[in-house]
Amino acid sequence: MHSSELHLPDYREQSPAVADRFRRIEARPVILDVRNLRKSYEANGINHTVFDNVSLSIHRREFICVVGSSGCGKSTLARIVAGLDESTGGEVLLDGTPVTGPGPDRGMVFQGYTLFPWLTVKRNVMFGLKMGGQSDSIAEAEARQWLDMVGLSKFEDSYPHELSGGMKQRVAIARALANKPRILLMDEPFAALDAQTRGQMQNYLLQIWRKVDVTVLFITHDLEEAAFLADRILVMGANPGRVMEFIENPVPRPRHDDQFLSPEFLALKKRLEEHIHPSSAGNHDHIPMIKMTDAGDDVE
Amino acid sequence: MAHHDWLGLKKELPPRRRLLLTVLSFVIPIAIWSVVSYVPWIWHPLIHITNPGEVDYFSEGLDIPKADFTKELGKAKAAGQQLPEGYAVNPVYLPAPHKVAAAFYTAFKTPPRLPNEPWLHESLGHSIRTIVLGFLISSLIGVPLGILCGTYRFFARLQEPFIEFFRYLPAPAFGALCVAVLGIEDAPKVAIIVIGTFFQQVLIIANSVRKTDPALIEAAQTLGASRWKLVSRVIIPASITDIYTDMRILLGWAWTYLIVAEVIGTMSGITLFINQQARYRNFDNVYAAIAMIGIIGVSTDMFLSWLGGNLFPWKRNTRSSVKKLSLFNQGPRKRLSGGLQSGTTPGN
Ligand SMILES: Nc1ncnc2c1ncn2[C@@H]1O[C@H](COP(=O)(O)OP(=O)(O)O)[C@@H](O)[C@H]1O
Ligand SMILES: [Mg+2]
Repeated sequence: MHSSELHLPDYREQSPAVADRFRRIEARPVILDVRNLRKSYEANGINHTVFDNVSLSIHRREFICVVGSSGCGKSTLARIVAGLDESTGGEVLLDGTPVTGPGPDRGMVFQGYTLFPWLTVKRNVMFGLKMGGQSDSIAEAEARQWLDMVGLSKFEDSYPHELSGGMKQRVAIARALANKPRILLMDEPFAALDAQTRGQMQNYLLQIWRKVDVTVLFITHDLEEAAFLADRILVMGANPGRVMEFIENPVPRPRHDDQFLSPEFLALKKRLEEHIHPSSAGNHDHIPMIKMTDAGDDVE
Repeated sequence: MAHHDWLGLKKELPPRRRLLLTVLSFVIPIAIWSVVSYVPWIWHPLIHITNPGEVDYFSEGLDIPKADFTKELGKAKAAGQQLPEGYAVNPVYLPAPHKVAAAFYTAFKTPPRLPNEPWLHESLGHSIRTIVLGFLISSLIGVPLGILCGTYRFFARLQEPFIEFFRYLPAPAFGALCVAVLGIEDAPKVAIIVIGTFFQQVLIIANSVRKTDPALIEAAQTLGASRWKLVSRVIIPASITDIYTDMRILLGWAWTYLIVAEVIGTMSGITLFINQQARYRNFDNVYAAIAMIGIIGVSTDMFLSWLGGNLFPWKRNTRSSVKKLSLFNQGPRKRLSGGLQSGTTPGN
């Protein structure tokens, strides 16, 4: 037992280089400021609180992940920031201005594929630019650049139904970024993809983020995904939804797949798991053994 | 194996089987009709007299029930008279397939008995004009109103309860009213088609528009689409293929109102032709004319379906091989197994 236990560093231990990174991030202007946000709704005369007292500040070009078990209000938080839902308390400030409704300054990529099926890939990416009053030729040229960035130039005249799930989400990212939003909101964008594609998309997203001046608020329930992508991770708890911890990710950048076994990564993940499954240690003891056929007990 | 399974639940059949079954769906009823028409001992309840013999009320060309013929034949035999002759036939209202097939051509060549009566092609033209006019008038108001009701709850609440009530009133019930208001010519007939189509149209199109995926609307909002652009650039394009299908179905229903409409006021169009041919006992022409309505209906629908495929290329189910192309050329990730990932169920 003792010998197999990993000796992990504390998740807060950071190399001087990483600590310096956070100092530099914090010196940048705040793009999104969420202050004491509260969301409740009424059902059958009872007032339910989705979450309360959620605060966070996101600095320019920062990559924030929000993790938490299902139902703790992660999507609701993203939707309020996007302006698609209304909060019932607190405020959301974008560049110091309160958010009142949806707008092109906050791009969103949803878990479901929300490309417009009647538009070609290129026209999808042009959509926001056209809404912003750009001429066809300028919008087209810009859309081509974005498609080039996500590696889908060859598919500009395809329709969404001809693309795989991963490709659709890359178009959705290009479509959101083409509007040059101040912040990119992503609500479990890769959750519906298979594990291998998801890994590729994560690498891809980091590459894009490095090249583009954009701030990311990324919602996920996949702890490894959060640890791989984020600068800081907002851990939310449920019943009622609340902020448990705002963790500075000690894993150095640039990120690569080899880091999945690094001590910092494992320490961070362990910490996240403690939040999400506080009692997971002794859980297996409660699962009863069900005998189906007498095949012997030596499965291990 | 699934390959041999003709009755797989909700499984699409291979194209060759589909075609075979489509052909069979027509061949089976025609085969039954042919058996009844051409096999003399199946049904054929009448005897067509070729020679009346000495039976006084028989005459050549008369159709007599089998029982009567046998009785008279027996009597004639007993009396030693000249025997009547004839062969078994079906009633005149069930012409054989080849006669109806021929009537598809001959019906066009059958001249009207009275100078002011229309030829078949004129009757068909008249009917098509009535349908098209009624359908256009209905659509001109019904489609925009349906889209409006589907988009805004306000208009849905304001319009739909009344329309829902009105749609239960059978269109033919308004026949007398239409004649009183609009006269006896074409106007009341067009009005019946409009009444029969319009109310269904508003409700059906409103429903199709309401089915627009709200996620698409939200995506457009986050891309900066304004209120009006949401309608013109998202809601209408998102539901346009459903609206198109609705219109095809509604056009089919309009045909069913046609016959009712054409008996209102002065009878006209294909209904007039059918009625007259029935009166002259040209039942082969009657069947041919009825079948022509079906053929016009089905071929219009097939044409519209083909046209839809061209108008809405994103609905064509040509899944290209794109899916298999991966632009990433990275090795598999050195990742711990999924079991070590968070065990929470995916939220939405
Ligand atoms: N307006 C609302 N009406 C009813 N239920 C709501 C409303 N807003 C949020 N909820 C509930 O709040 C909870 C949090 O949802 P969500 O934000 O989707 O959580 P997560 O994304 O973390 O899984 C869900 O149980 C949802 O049903
Ligand atoms: Mg969610």
